[in-house]
Formats: sequence, structure tokens, C-alpha cells
Amino acid sequence: MTAELQTAVKQRRIALTGNHAVALAAKMAKVEVVAAYPITPQTPAVERLAEFVNNGELDAEFIPVEGEHSALSAVVGASAAGARVFTATSSQGLGFMYEILPIAVGLRLPIVMGVATRAYSAPINVWGDHSDIMSMRELGWIIYLVSNVQEAFDTVIQAYRVAEDPAVHLPAAVAYDGFWISHTLQPLEVPEDEEAVLKYAPITRSWRQLDVDRPASVGAVGTPEWYFEIRWQAYKALEDSVKVVEAADREYGKLFGRSYGFGSTYRAEDADLIILTYGSIYGVVKKAVDALRERGVRAGAAKLRVLRPWPRDFIRRALGGAGKVLVIDRALNHGGVAGPVATEVAATLAEPVYTAYATIGMRTIDSRGVARAAERVLSGEVRAMEPFTIGLRGGP
Amino acid sequence: MRLETVWVGRGGQGVVTAVYLIAHASIRDGLYALANPEFGAERRGAPVKAFLTLTDYLEDSPEPIKTPDVAIFLDDKLLEPMKIITDAVKPGGYVLVSSGKEPEKVAELVGRDDVNIAVVDGIGIALKHVKLAVPNAPLAGVFSRVFGFPSLESIRDALEAQLGKAVEANFAAAKEAYESVVVIKAKGAGGAREAVEIPTTSAFLTGPYELVPWQKVNKAGVVYPGSSLRYKTGSWRTEKPIIDHSKCIMCRKCWLFCPDDAVLEVWRDVEKGGKAVRVKEIEFNYDYCKGCGICADVCPTGAITMVREI
Repeated sequence: MTAELQTAVKQRRIALTGNHAVALAAKMAKVEVVAAYPITPQTPAVERLAEFVNNGELDAEFIPVEGEHSALSAVVGASAAGARVFTATSSQGLGFMYEILPIAVGLRLPIVMGVATRAYSAPINVWGDHSDIMSMRELGWIIYLVSNVQEAFDTVIQAYRVAEDPAVHLPAAVAYDGFWISHTLQPLEVPEDEEAVLKYAPITRSWRQLDVDRPASVGAVGTPEWYFEIRWQAYKALEDSVKVVEAADREYGKLFGRSYGFGSTYRAEDADLIILTYGSIYGVVKKAVDALRERGVRAGAAKLRVLRPWPRDFIRRALGGAGKVLVIDRALNHGGVAGPVATEVAATLAEPVYTAYATIGMRTIDSRGVARAAERVLSGEVRAMEPFTIGLRGGP
Repeated sequence: MRLETVWVGRGGQGVVTAVYLIAHASIRDGLYALANPEFGAERRGAPVKAFLTLTDYLEDSPEPIKTPDVAIFLDDKLLEPMKIITDAVKPGGYVLVSSGKEPEKVAELVGRDDVNIAVVDGIGIALKHVKLAVPNAPLAGVFSRVFGFPSLESIRDALEAQLGKAVEANFAAAKEAYESVVVIKAKGAGGAREAVEIPTTSAFLTGPYELVPWQKVNKAGVVYPGSSLRYKTGSWRTEKPIIDHSKCIMCRKCWLFCPDDAVLEVWRDVEKGGKAVRVKEIEFNYDYCKGCGICADVCPTGAITMVREI
């Protein structure tokens, strides 16, 4: 066992906030072009990257754009020219990028973007929920949802390897909770030798489309005779990227000693009820499970780490054996049948699940509230596929 | 080992940096830390709260702390309005306060004898070494002294990483606080105290919002006219102006320059040569004076001086 835990790459233990860990990961991946516009809670990530470039610690072009629409447009151009690129945003900034989000997919560009998740206006709320990231589910991006600072760091590096794989060539977003990860300081391990990151994820430029020696036009018109086929390539690439995501995570584990899979489970083997969530609150849910177990309730926890491509096998394996499943969603699915992840979990299991909304606008959540929600499910007080709430005053 | 701490101060006093400092230094000493500041209105003077959990095992739950082992106050004027936090400290726990007041007076403000109370003049020490009324490095020194960790050496390393400038000045402040802190030991076992918890919703919103169900909240969050007169911003001061009327020539420069309209002209009945007369004098509206010191700076006769309040 001990031998397995020894990692091939020597590492050092440091302390960083989520934003600074994401910036360090991009730096260690030797990004060549960064274009970003500041928005709370993402700002410290791009400030740190600007410092790296300014101090000469990172040999990259930092393009100070006038808004997020330009930020993503700039990295689209740079990526098409073969550069390894990075951008980051939150909430309204992601909304402002929206026009370019599907373009990055259609052009098959392996852009990596950090999203410090935040609620959408109005009213203005700079705090963290997952409304922004959930609004890009159907566009064709790879989407990771991480749970702590270490995972944010590791996942940005993994994202380059996955996105740039010739079988994939798709953009990837790494979503980390605004404030509860972006501004939370935690210990993490990072490679002593930054070259180890490049060895894991070498810059191959396999995705380059703009080349003066081989002129081409990209993003030209796709008429009804061609568009379906071209988009299906991207659709299929995302579906098939499941294998690449898995392999990249396994390989990362071998080298750096940490791997995460498509998600994980906690005390779920014999559980009558499994509570699935995502992001930083997984720790809170695990605490609730411990409290429920002490009271003799056979509860378990699960977390989803990869939202796109949707990991149907993981979901079936993790939740298939449970009597009941409660999904805690962190973005409102206005007018929908259930929470955004709950809907897909129910469809995957072909069974109704219990669906709760929590942390909207960063409403505080605690393990007692989660345990109470579990008890409401087990007592029959709430019904499957009928959304209820945790922490909403006067809410169902 | 598990130590749950809650830090309270105001925007500009370095609360967030303070928790990052202790977390960073503790991690350097081999512990685990989760520093989780609560960001509210990002405004100088507005109350700020931060959670910091220190453990010797991996802890990755950002659950809010309800009954802390330690409460740290960067501003003694917050002891009264934030009483819920000192009340929630576990019996036998600690309250660390930056205050220029006598330790016994601070203990009175805390109002509990079943917790240990540590007092340091954080602002005085910071003004001396860093030339800023930011008591975070001194409180890091106090923390190290009271709990035996993180080491001073690790605090220096954390100052380097978190501030990147004025490291030696801040370290000198941390060290002086380490050496000069006064601790009043807890008496008794706490007796039968009613368990108090810090509410999980943000502690700094005004009004009885916790009573309003979603059905009764203003549609679209529309805000109707109110008045900022309700917000007594004078509580943000670290220093207040006082005036020596015998030196004042009523030039009104202070009135002209005050950014908060907190310089007043008032009529006063005085006796002059055996006769009762009414004269105009300069006064300050301490409800709204934030203690910026501009009035003292522009006063041509030195009639206005700034004195420490916390």
C-alpha cells in the first residue's frame, strides 16, 4: 500500500486559495496566451497570472481585454494559431462570453477556462452558486466541478491533457465554487519540478488550424448540407471523451498520486439513501452522512466531478444500488422538472429521484440542514421529482 | 486536534489577511487549515467575519462554525454589536481582542468569566511598526503565543507570501504583540450556560430578514427609498477628533474639507466679561465622523487633535 502511495513526481506542500491554485496550475502548464477580464470572485486568479507574466515567471502573452466577449474571442484566435491558452470568468462574465462559447466547440479548440462559480443577476449577487456553469451544459464544453483547492489545481492540469488530445480537441471548463473554493485557503501539494506538468501534458499543437505555410479559413459558413455532420463530430468527440477523461485522470494519479474519477462515493455500499451533490459542499454532505449513521440511518454520499461528458456508467454504478437517491442541486432549473443534475440522474437511472435546491446565491448550508433534508426524504414528507429546498425561508 | 476560530473586524483592518496568515503559517508547520472568509459588502469599515478551522487531519468541509473554540476581535467596538459571537465561544475557550483599553475593561466588555481573554494593543503596535491602524500581524503574534503555534518563523514566511511587502515591519509588530499580550484566565467551569450558537445566515445584514419568507420579500428585490442616516458610520473610527476652542479661529476649513459632513457649527451660551453671550463653535457629529483626520490636517492653528478610541 505504502509503495503505491509514493508518487513518481516529487512534490511540495504549500498553502493557496483556489484562485491562486488555478493560476499556478495554468502557469505550470506553461500557457502561452492569457486573455481575461476581472470579475468577482474570479479576479485574484487572473491578477496572479498577470503577476507571473509581469515578473517574467511565465513566458506568455497577457491580453488585457475590455470584456469577456473579447477575452474568449482572443483565446479562440490564439488557440486556432496553436497556442496553449487560458481564460477565466464568473457569472455575468460567462454570460457576456456566451456568443463565443459554442464557437470554441465548433472550431474544436482546446481552450481551458476556470469558472469561479457565481450566481446570476438580478439582484446582483457576487457570491457562489452554480447558475453560471449550469447554463453552458448543452454547448459542447467539457465541464469539471471540483470540490477543493487541491482538486482545482490538479483538474486544470488534467483539463489541458484531455482538451488537447487529438481524439477530443474541445474546450474545457473547470468550475470551482466562488468564495468557498476561490477565496478559501487550504494546503495542497504541487510538483517540485514544473517540467513534470509539461511531461504529463506536452504542448503538441495538434489542434492548430491557422498556419501560414498551410493557409486555411476557419469558421466559414456551414450550410444545411454540411452543418449537421460537422457538429456531430463535436458531439461525438465529447461523448467519446469519457475514455480520455478517465485515462488522463488515471495517468495523473500514477505520476502525482491523486486521481478523482468521474466522482466518488462515501459510506454508500449498504446505503438506503445516497445524497449526491457537487462542489465544495461535498464535505458538508459527508458530515451529514456521519451524523445520520450515528443515528442508525443508513445514509451515504456521492459527488459528481464531471458534468460533461455525462458519466452515465459512474452514475449507475455509484447510485444504482441505493434504495433512494437525493440530489442537492446548486442552480435553479427554472421551469424544469427537477434540479439540473437531478434531472439527468433520474434519466440515467430511469428512476425518480429526490431533488433539493440549496446554496442559491451562496445561502449558507450546514450538515444539520442536509441531515434534515435526508430525514424528510426517508419519512415520506417530500416526494420524488418534486423539488424542495434547503435553507429557503418559507420554502417547500 | 481541532481548533475552530471566528475572526471579526472591519473592512480595512485586515481580517481576511489575518486568517490567511494563520492558515498559511499553520500549514507550513504541518497542520491542515481551512480559511474561509465571509465576504459581505466590500467596503472600508463594514464588519467582516472569517472562519478558520485548524486540524491535524484533512478537513475539507466549509461548514460555518457555530460554537467556536476561539473568537478574535480586531476592533473592540464590535464586542457589543457582535456579542452573539463571544457568547457562542465554548466554555474554557478563548477570546482574543485588539484593544488599547485596560485588559480588565475589555474583560468587562466580553462579559464572561468562563473563557480566557487575551488583550493586546494591536493598533498601537501596528501604528508603531507598520504606520497603519491594521492590527492583523499583532493578532497573529498573539495567536502564536496563546496556542503555541504557528511558530513565529512560519508567521514570517506567511507574511512574505500573503503580503509580499513590509514583511519586517509586520513581523516586528507580530513579535511585540507576542511578547506583550496580557491573558486573563478563565474562572470556574462555566456552570449551567445556555448553549448559544452563531446563526448560520450572514451576521451582518440589518433588519429582521430571518423572519421574512420568500413570499413576502419585495418582488424582484426592489429597494424603496430609505436613509443612510440609520447607519451610524462613526462606529468605524479608530481615532476621533477633539477641538481646543481657545485655539479655534472659526475659519471653517475643517467644515469645508470634512468628507462626511460631520463638522458642525453650533451656538453656545458663554460668559464674556460678565455678560452672557451666544457664540458659534465647531463641534463634531460623532455618529458619522469616521475619524479620517482630514480636519486635524487642515486646521491652521492646531486646534484639532486626533485621539485613539479603540
